[in-house]
Amino acid sequence: MTPGALSQGRAWLSRHGYVGLAALLLVLLAIASLIFTPGQFGWDAIWVTLGTAAPTLLAAVAVTPSILSGRGGIDLSIGPLMGVLNVLLVQYLIGTAGLSSPFVVVAAALVLGAIGGLINGILVGVVRLQPVVATLGTYLMFSGLAIWLLPSPNGTVPIWLTDLSSGGVLIPLIVVAAGWAALKWTPYYEHLMAIGGDERAAFTSGVPVVTVRILAYVLGGVLAGVAALALSAVLGSADPTVGPGFTLTAITATALGGTSLAGGRGGLTGALVGALDIFLLQNLLTHFNVSTFALQIFYGVILVLAVMSNAARLKVPWLRRGGTA
Amino acid sequence: MGVLADKREDAAAALRVHSLRIRAGARPIDVEIRRSEILGLAGLEGHGHDVFLETVAGVRSHTEGTIEAFDQTGKPAPLRSQRDAVRNGVVYLPRDRKTQGILPGLSVLDNFGVATLSRFATAGVLRRGAMEQTYRTYHERLAIHAESPDVPITSLSGGNQQKVLIARWMAAHPKVMLLNDPTRGVDVATRTALYDVFREASDREGISFVILSSQIEELLLTAHRVLVFREGTVFKELAGDEISSDAIIAAMFGRERA
Repeated sequence: MTPGALSQGRAWLSRHGYVGLAALLLVLLAIASLIFTPGQFGWDAIWVTLGTAAPTLLAAVAVTPSILSGRGGIDLSIGPLMGVLNVLLVQYLIGTAGLSSPFVVVAAALVLGAIGGLINGILVGVVRLQPVVATLGTYLMFSGLAIWLLPSPNGTVPIWLTDLSSGGVLIPLIVVAAGWAALKWTPYYEHLMAIGGDERAAFTSGVPVVTVRILAYVLGGVLAGVAALALSAVLGSADPTVGPGFTLTAITATALGGTSLAGGRGGLTGALVGALDIFLLQNLLTHFNVSTFALQIFYGVILVLAVMSNAARLKVPWLRRGGTA
Repeated sequence: MGVLADKREDAAAALRVHSLRIRAGARPIDVEIRRSEILGLAGLEGHGHDVFLETVAGVRSHTEGTIEAFDQTGKPAPLRSQRDAVRNGVVYLPRDRKTQGILPGLSVLDNFGVATLSRFATAGVLRRGAMEQTYRTYHERLAIHAESPDVPITSLSGGNQQKVLIARWMAAHPKVMLLNDPTRGVDVATRTALYDVFREASDREGISFVILSSQIEELLLTAHRVLVFREGTVFKELAGDEISSDAIIAAMFGRERA
């Protein structure tokens, strides 16, 4: 390899190397899945499988911007926000108000998600509460609101929404991936990574830290809106109890995907790969009739190992060195 | 030096500090910084020269006195916050590079571009090519040793990290650069190269510099004028031929040189 190619390779690794372990795990899990549960990965079945995975994938993406924003950034309320949006959309907008046009429902999901995110953003960015406390507060509010509005599952969803849990699942996933790719071309993305990397340095460089941070939570809220649509599609009804469970899965997936919980490092790829890992693992263990409690033990062990290995990766000398002077 | 110094004395003001009190009970400070002037700040630790610099930068707030920046037409703009300062071309390089300067997770290019992103964006889209091209010119000019603009900034030596930070601000075409001990922890060769960069930028681009230094020879080599701080105010102002190591040290310890 020429020195130029070597340094380019190194630069590429330093930007994407964080996904490494999760990607390796994904390959292993995919092979295991193809051996043990081939039925779920046939031409037709794979769409249903992907549809089932979509809420987890999107929840992991939704929690990513807040984590990237640094200063302990995290959004615990993503799961409950998905849950309360599911209730509002299916029970009230589609059920009571009878508005089932895709345009209305999608717009409502995104706007309500943005509002949920804005509440978090203001609490964290302006009131300057610690993110874990602020979003724990909204976690409780959103999950309480969902059960208060609708104590037990109810309602049905229109056909177009059900389609999102099979072949149509590609639409939200592609839109989110394309949106994220576009975001990377904006100054906002650089600002986000900058405040996540070092808030004070970003501030002295003239980055509007507060605005950037608020927008990170708003972006998470909008993504939670997309995730809520995917969730409603899978559930086919309004269910107030399932949302909160997505928070911890999403954070586990994001951390497993190599996104640093300290902020400033990570991204969409990490979130998606990590979430696919979690989903496939869950799928396999369910296939082997492992109890859900054991499942959680697996999550925990994997999470700890993943975070440990990511920390160790930083110590690999040839990634840190590189400059000649 | 004489001719240049004279020219600078006639030059228009770039920044004016009026009746600024940085410590209760201390005498207020009045300073005017002219275009393309290099002003040095000296003082013993804790005598307020660093507070003064941070206050002018807007990193610290002030209640007594005014700080004004002047644009090309001589119109003054009051500076009350760091945002005001940056907007009016008064930029600040902090003392602690590791905690306030570099963005450790990001590449050299991203570290370079973070202060000037809006310039490289068209309709909200970042033109990385243009950003990289601009970086290249500073890469040459400051002789930054980095394998590629995409390597992490933490892979560079301290001196080269500092060069990237200086390039970050020079690319913003500032009017005044406030440098807080810019060559601390930087090797001698790089240090000398940086002095050349400062002098060249002040001569050719009319940028004014305020350089706080813990090393007196740095001030001897760069400054047209030196303010020596003592007990929270300007104790002595030295200009041109008055600037010498003895004079600065004497003033730092509160003695008028005989």
